[in-house]
Amino acid sequence: MAKSRKTEIKIFTIADYEEEETWLREQHRQGWKLVNTNLPVFYHFVKCEPEDVVYRLDYKNSGEDRNYMQMFQDYGWEYFNSCMGWLYFRKPVSEMDSDMDEEIFSDGESKLDMLEHVLKTRMLPLAAAFLCCLIPGWLRLLGELDGDILAEPLFVIMSLLVFLYVILFIHCGRKFVRLRRKYRK
Amino acid sequence: MEERIRKIYIPMTETGFYILFCLRREQHGYGISRQVKKMTGGEVVISPGTMYGTLSKMEKDGLISFVREEEKRKIYCATDLGRQILDIEIRRIERLYQNTHPDRESISISV
Repeated sequence: MAKSRKTEIKIFTIADYEEEETWLREQHRQGWKLVNTNLPVFYHFVKCEPEDVVYRLDYKNSGEDRNYMQMFQDYGWEYFNSCMGWLYFRKPVSEMDSDMDEEIFSDGESKLDMLEHVLKTRMLPLAAAFLCCLIPGWLRLLGELDGDILAEPLFVIMSLLVFLYVILFIHCGRKFVRLRRKYRK
Repeated sequence: MEERIRKIYIPMTETGFYILFCLRREQHGYGISRQVKKMTGGEVVISPGTMYGTLSKMEKDGLISFVREEEKRKIYCATDLGRQILDIEIRRIERLYQNTHPDRESISISV
């Protein structure tokens, strides 16, 4: 018997929500409907009829209220999952009567508002933790080093973390700049 | 009127203008969206995220006020400040129109 469920492991950073939307739409087109997510890493799908369904993510870390949910429902968007401030919506293309119907933001200004909200509540705390905790801790370990680096597992782990953080910052920073430029047009 | 409010809302975006224009009468977000779609022959579409954000901002800035809730939908209406801004905008747009159509004296706005 063919599988009726699957879990995919995929990493999308806070700057990759547009890629995530495209990927989820592609999955649905292939007959896999997203049920929920654990962290934005584990994606649980169930088998369904292949259909062209648009997925959209909004970011609301302050908690969405029922009026907000009702408004999206009025517009025909199905809300089905939330994950670390991200709210997941979807709507079948067959229920849309214009191209604009597939957007949850109809102007650049509101897209920018969301982007800035992500930057302020996610990127800034990350940057603060990096500069105030990780870097000083790493520098202290570096100062205490004598001889063989690989003999200091803590230092190796910290270095790896610093490296990952830097990669993440460069990736997100570049993406945010590009998105901002796109929305300002 | 505060300078800050003037700076943000004059001139207004098309989305902002239509929302405020519809809120001369009590209405909820999706109702405004349908009305605007009809008025503009589907040319101006206001998506839910944009609608929700704009209504929240306008409420915070005192252009509209929350009237009551009906079946989980917030009903809003323009305040005196909101109407004042709308009037300024309508006059600005009328002037624009008259200057680009010198043969016509005035326009009528219909809903």
